[in-house]
Amino acid sequence: MSTISLNILEKISDYEWEIPQDFRSDMRVPVRLFASRRLIEEALNDKSIEQAVNASTLPGLVGAVMVMPDMHQGYGFPIGGVAATDLKNGVISPGGIGYDINCGVRLLASRISLAEVEPWIKDLATLLNQNVPSGVGVGSDLRLSVDELAEACVLGSRWAKRNGYATEEDLLHTEENGCLSGAKPEKLSKRALQRGTSQLGTLGAGNHFIEVDIITEIFDPIAAQTMGLHKDDIAVQIHTGSRGFGHQICTDYVRRFQSAIQKYGIKLPDKQLVCAPIDSPEGQDYLGAMRCGANFAFINRQLLANKVRMTFERVLAGKVDDWHLKLVYDLAHNIGKFENHLVDGQKREVCIHRKGATRAFGPHSEGIPVDYKEIGQPVLVPGSMGTSSWVLTGTKISMERSFGSSCHGAGRVMSRSQAKREVWGEDLLKRLEKSGIDIRAGSMPGLAEEAPEAYKDVDQVVESVVGAGIAKKVARLNPLIVIKG
Amino acid sequence: MKFHGFEEVEHTADLAIRVWAADFYALLIHAALGMYDLMGAQYNPNIPILQTFELTNASQAEVLVDFLNELLFLVEESNQIFDQFQFVDENARLRIELTGYKLSSINRHIKAVTFHNLEISEGSKGLETTITFDV
Repeated sequence: MSTISLNILEKISDYEWEIPQDFRSDMRVPVRLFASRRLIEEALNDKSIEQAVNASTLPGLVGAVMVMPDMHQGYGFPIGGVAATDLKNGVISPGGIGYDINCGVRLLASRISLAEVEPWIKDLATLLNQNVPSGVGVGSDLRLSVDELAEACVLGSRWAKRNGYATEEDLLHTEENGCLSGAKPEKLSKRALQRGTSQLGTLGAGNHFIEVDIITEIFDPIAAQTMGLHKDDIAVQIHTGSRGFGHQICTDYVRRFQSAIQKYGIKLPDKQLVCAPIDSPEGQDYLGAMRCGANFAFINRQLLANKVRMTFERVLAGKVDDWHLKLVYDLAHNIGKFENHLVDGQKREVCIHRKGATRAFGPHSEGIPVDYKEIGQPVLVPGSMGTSSWVLTGTKISMERSFGSSCHGAGRVMSRSQAKREVWGEDLLKRLEKSGIDIRAGSMPGLAEEAPEAYKDVDQVVESVVGAGIAKKVARLNPLIVIKG
Repeated sequence: MKFHGFEEVEHTADLAIRVWAADFYALLIHAALGMYDLMGAQYNPNIPILQTFELTNASQAEVLVDFLNELLFLVEESNQIFDQFQFVDENARLRIELTGYKLSSINRHIKAVTFHNLEISEGSKGLETTITFDV
């Protein structure tokens, strides 16, 4: 068994490292890690790098398996992993996308200053907490029929617009305009459909949140101005995904692919890496179902944004000059998509798996909003509760080095049980409130699991992607209100 | 000291339990109880529930994952948890008869049961395995 250590890494730069393909005999491509030496050393404490090496054994990979600096141990793929497969000879792996299909983040900007909102912070927190269905087992106030859900899965955010939950500008500022084409509701199980009918417009629990932030620093004034981000103004982040609907889709296909790998003679080091050739009935069925989950998640975040907007109006209308929230961007960090990338100097369409990694397309890339053409795509990096979040942009280098991808957050460093042993939820709540953050949480043990000390230092993560050149700093945000399920 | 047949194992992002039992059906039961324990499930003993479902008889790992996913679904959709399990092997199908209660609360949501490094092996305590849950 090959041992993973710092010695096996070839240093390309201070923030880019590579594990050569000959490190383990079953590797099909190298593994490229974007991280500082310190973050790499931290990652060696769990199995994230070993999982990246395992992922490099998938058939039909192109380039290298990439790992972002917020990497941590997942199941099968590491969280923070990016892998591209060839459309003809490659595979699609549900584990390379995750159970929470299209888990992602959206950022809304405002022209509300901190001074204006300060007297209403408590009211805003209370009403957001009341209006947003969140927490374990909490369903939506919206119930869809199976036919309505199937239609929503095909239309994505256009379904939200048609039903009055979204504007055209919202769609233009959503990755893929809020809709992956090729969604096939007929490839969903009855159970997936059943779970989806009552969960659209819910936040969920765990690390999902709604956060009201203050923009504390601007690093790129032109990009910030273009996105509508202004120092000392309020912004809102929404982090959630496809809920039980997406979980069921992944569960169904991970199960089905257990036999698919035998059918296609695919040998893997971990059963959770199961996959099927893209150009196979099983692969095509999963793609059709997974795209339904992705479109569901785009709608979910849009519906939550609608609830946040209504809450802002109710609390702040008549009290501040302009209470409106403009969508800066909505992006996925658990997804599989066909994208054009440079492979060995040639532009090719490949299947990109991003598991805990964010698309980070540079200036003038295809598929980014027209108004962001000159600055590149916004990259949203939420921090851990109580620490900064970041707005970055994709770069020309990210297109060349990382399949147009960057980090997605701080990344866990402590297990949930360790966090609960070391942090008492009530103490954490008091500590965060003392630092000026209004926290509304569904459960104190759940809050403890998400304590800032359970995560890496997000600033170091950002320094790594910026140091590697795969993202550029735009703005720093600090939390004022955190709503957690 | 109460014998549980499971213990939590450290995992950075998700949750994992090591489970052991004398035979496969007992392993399923211990895995179910371990999963409920991770969720912090509390129930109302005044509302007993009977439930039945069937699984396709496949490999032990596949049956284990299917069984736990079915229980997760019953938690999410019907607020039901169970503490007694009867297994009836009907060749191609495994019928499971369950007795339990209406759930009153859970502290933590589990999204799914994974196949991550899932091997069921014979050890000093009978059958042993480690199950990773996505949370």
